[in-house]
Amino acid sequence: MVNSYIAASLKEALDIRAREDVIPYGGGTDLMIKAADDVSYLFIGKIPELKQISEDNEYIRIGAACTFTEIIESPLIPPVLKAAASQIGGPAIRNLGTIGGNIANGSPKADSVLILFVTDAMLRLVSDKGERILPVKDYYLGKKKTALAGDELISEILIPRVDLSNYYYKKVGARKAQAISRVAFAGLMNITNGRITHCATAFGSVSDVIIRRDYIDAMLIGRTIEEAKACKAEYLAAFDEAIVPISGRISAEYRKSVCMNLLGDFLSENGI
Amino acid sequence: MKFILNGTEVTYTGALNASLLDVLRDEYRLTGVKCGCKEGECGACSVIMDDRLVNSCMIAMGQAADSTIISIEGYRDTDRYAVLDRAYASVGAAQCGFCIPGMILASECILAKTPHPSEEQIREGISGNLCRCTGYNAIVTAVSIAAKEGEGLW
Amino acid sequence: MEMISQSVTRQDHAPKMSGTALYVADYPLEGVLFGKLLYSSRPKARLVQVKIPALPDGYLVVDKNDIPGENRVHIVQDDTPVFARETVEYIGEPILMAVGPVEKEVQHIIDQIEVVYEDLPPILSMGNSDTVFFNYEYGKGDIVKAFVEADKVYMEEFDTGRQEQAYLEPQGMIAEPHDGRMTVHGSLQCPYYVHGAVAKALGVEPGRVQIIQDVTGGGFGGKEAFPSILACQVAVAANKAGQPVRVIFDRREDMEFTSKRHPSHSIYKVAVKDGKVTAMDIDVMYDAGAYTTLTPVVLQRGIICSSGVYNVENLNVHGRAMKTNTVPNSAFRGFGAPQTFFAVEMMMDHIAKDLGLASLEFKQKHIVRQGDKTSTSGIYHFPVPLPDMIEEVDKACDYRSKQIEYSKPQSGRYRRGIGMGLYFHGAGFTGSGERDFIKAVAKLHKYPDGSVEILAANTDMGQGIKTTFTKIVGQELGLPLDRIIFSNPDTDRVPDSGPTVASRSLMIVGELLRRASINLRANWIDGENQIIEEHFKEPDFIVPFHIESFEGDAYPTYAWAVAAIEVEVDTLTGLTDILGAFGSFDVGTPIDTNVVLGQMQGGFLQGIGYASIEQIGADANGRIRNNSFTDYIIPTAMDVPNMVTMLHVEKYPDGPYGAKGAGELALVGAPAAYAEAMEMALGTKFNHIPVTAEDAMKSLEVAKL
Repeated sequence: MVNSYIAASLKEALDIRAREDVIPYGGGTDLMIKAADDVSYLFIGKIPELKQISEDNEYIRIGAACTFTEIIESPLIPPVLKAAASQIGGPAIRNLGTIGGNIANGSPKADSVLILFVTDAMLRLVSDKGERILPVKDYYLGKKKTALAGDELISEILIPRVDLSNYYYKKVGARKAQAISRVAFAGLMNITNGRITHCATAFGSVSDVIIRRDYIDAMLIGRTIEEAKACKAEYLAAFDEAIVPISGRISAEYRKSVCMNLLGDFLSENGI
Repeated sequence: MKFILNGTEVTYTGALNASLLDVLRDEYRLTGVKCGCKEGECGACSVIMDDRLVNSCMIAMGQAADSTIISIEGYRDTDRYAVLDRAYASVGAAQCGFCIPGMILASECILAKTPHPSEEQIREGISGNLCRCTGYNAIVTAVSIAAKEGEGLW
Repeated sequence: MEMISQSVTRQDHAPKMSGTALYVADYPLEGVLFGKLLYSSRPKARLVQVKIPALPDGYLVVDKNDIPGENRVHIVQDDTPVFARETVEYIGEPILMAVGPVEKEVQHIIDQIEVVYEDLPPILSMGNSDTVFFNYEYGKGDIVKAFVEADKVYMEEFDTGRQEQAYLEPQGMIAEPHDGRMTVHGSLQCPYYVHGAVAKALGVEPGRVQIIQDVTGGGFGGKEAFPSILACQVAVAANKAGQPVRVIFDRREDMEFTSKRHPSHSIYKVAVKDGKVTAMDIDVMYDAGAYTTLTPVVLQRGIICSSGVYNVENLNVHGRAMKTNTVPNSAFRGFGAPQTFFAVEMMMDHIAKDLGLASLEFKQKHIVRQGDKTSTSGIYHFPVPLPDMIEEVDKACDYRSKQIEYSKPQSGRYRRGIGMGLYFHGAGFTGSGERDFIKAVAKLHKYPDGSVEILAANTDMGQGIKTTFTKIVGQELGLPLDRIIFSNPDTDRVPDSGPTVASRSLMIVGELLRRASINLRANWIDGENQIIEEHFKEPDFIVPFHIESFEGDAYPTYAWAVAAIEVEVDTLTGLTDILGAFGSFDVGTPIDTNVVLGQMQGGFLQGIGYASIEQIGADANGRIRNNSFTDYIIPTAMDVPNMVTMLHVEKYPDGPYGAKGAGELALVGAPAAYAEAMEMALGTKFNHIPVTAEDAMKSLEVAKL
């Protein structure tokens, strides 16, 4: 007996989630590929609490059921996230796919998740028993394994309200639309009075989990451009060691070359 | 659950996890909605849901509750369709025809958002609709022609 | 422009636009049983046992024991089984079909069936194969002398990959037994091919089988032979069930288990003396897959085209098609020619580079002219317009000056290149196939009310013959197009005008209809039923072709083309932007300009895809891994700019209004143009297609060392 549920509110959704063996369904664009016949869905795509985009003093807050089109059209969303969202699939996929679904899938190829890593975003996970806030990197435990408990839903994504205007983003797929990324890179750098005040990088699709090494990026923080140039070789060498791509249909060599090329270009664009 | 299908409210009593594509074709006999891949890659199954272009193969019925769905069967009686029909005819854009219902609805969504789209905007608007016959030239030209000829409609 | 070239609204535009056109999957499901195939999961094995679970009422399983006639699908030879015999020869070979009223239940039965295999050693690459399906050799002149006297001998090897047709409408077939007959309708290119195959499999007189083409959502050759196999399976199932049976492939099974373009490996040895090519010694190998299907004819065309558009007086060509335990390869637009045209164009390009000449400058020295001998010692009877077409393309895209510019060393992030392919497509069936095998017949039926029906077996799969055939008849009879009927062919009603393949329909059958129309006009009787029949007559000028020696006119005439592609490679990612695609195409008089341009554009992009992003990989057992539109990448509208396609008209006197074969041409030479452009952008050589982003990156990494 297959029962699917359409939840009208977050509370209703959490009650069902705790009680029943259901799969949370946001936009369906991952779930509907090779879906089993007897699967039981919990439809959360229209729950108002999950559809809000707002900002407070600390965060930009994105409801997990917001579609990529809604994210692209919202004036509150930083351009770096719009850049990634606008290259997901094609128009129809963007009209359906949700940021929560992109996260929940647990894949290192998730285009929006790369941006959440590079912005050090947080996830709000809720259940009928309460809630917790998790840095996005703590959500991913390994190959397609996530920290989501069986009674939890992702309700909100929190992006820290820092200056995200100087960003670098490149998605490398097999074609210009409807492409799963083979390599994806995002970089953020803030330079104030000639000194690097922030540096963050993330590499997607090359490993089981998105690669973010904030301790390597920290090498450049606090330095002037000239000082950064001096330790550029060391910085690149550290990433060269840290990035060990998986080989699959696309060779590890290709992925590695592209990662290092894009990283180098990110530095060059910032004068390093 | 209920939804509005081509202007009429209908009540659906089947499984909520069935795909909208299967339900539209098998239960409502709307065979203008084509099945090309069932993976959301080709766009042959495109319909318009709440004014947005979507792949009906990617939508479980539970998600369609209370929504407004338009398939080619509902769109083809409109003035806008008539303009697109003439535009597509003028360049012979329909070859095998299998991508066409989806392309038409994608064209509608492009023009609804941007009544005078650039070539780049048209190509992006149909980037989720695969065509193997035309090389896309004629379809892109057809949408441009429709934008000009349909002055005031979009 | 000829009046007939003026574009009209396509005859089938309205039903396709409005969604009312009925493709095979659109027919009502009431009273129809669903069929699903069980495929071999082993590349080569003996079938020890097939364990069928207990079947619910109304469900049945159909296999080789249920075939009333022969367990053979007649294609060219008859080795393809309807259902697997004692062994399976590739992953994907159909073993049986489960049939029943509820689709999910039928799938459930398939999932429960256990097959016991005795694995045998498979051959998964043609290089390892010891089974030569076909072996042809031909030549002319004295290549030994030419090689001895050469200033330099070049030798290179070239590889081309498999390509998937990727028609948007998957394969499908419905068989309905009734009144002692079997009617099969579905997505297909060749009703009479299917008819012959089904009659043999059912073991019945031809009159007891009826084949009807449904509106077909693309074919490109993928629905030339394969539908015969599926039709036999569905007919046998319907025969056993006593009820209609329907099989519609899903995209994954279509991509994994239906026929593809033959991969090829070619070795070219070329003698050059005094700056000109004097001889070519060519060895071509195609991977046929597990059964022969159309391989002999594909190989024939491939080797006939292997010296390209060049006048090579001393020539030896050896072609072999090898068996491998993989999905049998069959027809795909170009039919063997894209493989060898890629090889010869790249060979000429590489020799030019070695001689310090621009590629085009070197190629131009060798272009054939009217009166020259063809590769098979036939004659180019008609003007060869390539020189003018080269100028047209050069003017359109500044090919020559860009070629000079981009050939200089490049060092920026973005590198550009431009390439040009020169090619032809032999219009029509190879050799004397039209005269000796097809013997096309076409008819016109004039009704008492003055409307006229076209009775021909050729199918519109998007290439527009519903429109072009109708225009020909309309023009000769002075009738408006809405007074002319051309329904989807039904073997009960139409004569065998031959298959819809080989770019023959317009040139051969269109001409039969033109003559029939002239005949009808001359003998028109108002108010009466009249039927006019026309039979194919081989044109007088043809030098007879002997297939044993490959001598004579392989084709009556040729469609010519020049393609130029300009690219920009991002050295950080290996990704390529196509900046421009330009083509000049001579297919004789266009019977409808929009129809012909649409074919040129579509074929051009398929050729670009073949050379760049379309790739089929297989696992260790030879199973195709790219089995979805996610993994088998074809271009989207964002992957190509507006293609500039020009028509150059060199009329063919024996084609209707001067038209000649058009459907396949545009694909054939695009790959060489793309590969040459990539070579120029990256300052390297590519001897294979597809040239992928990985290949680009590898060449850049090598260059850094």
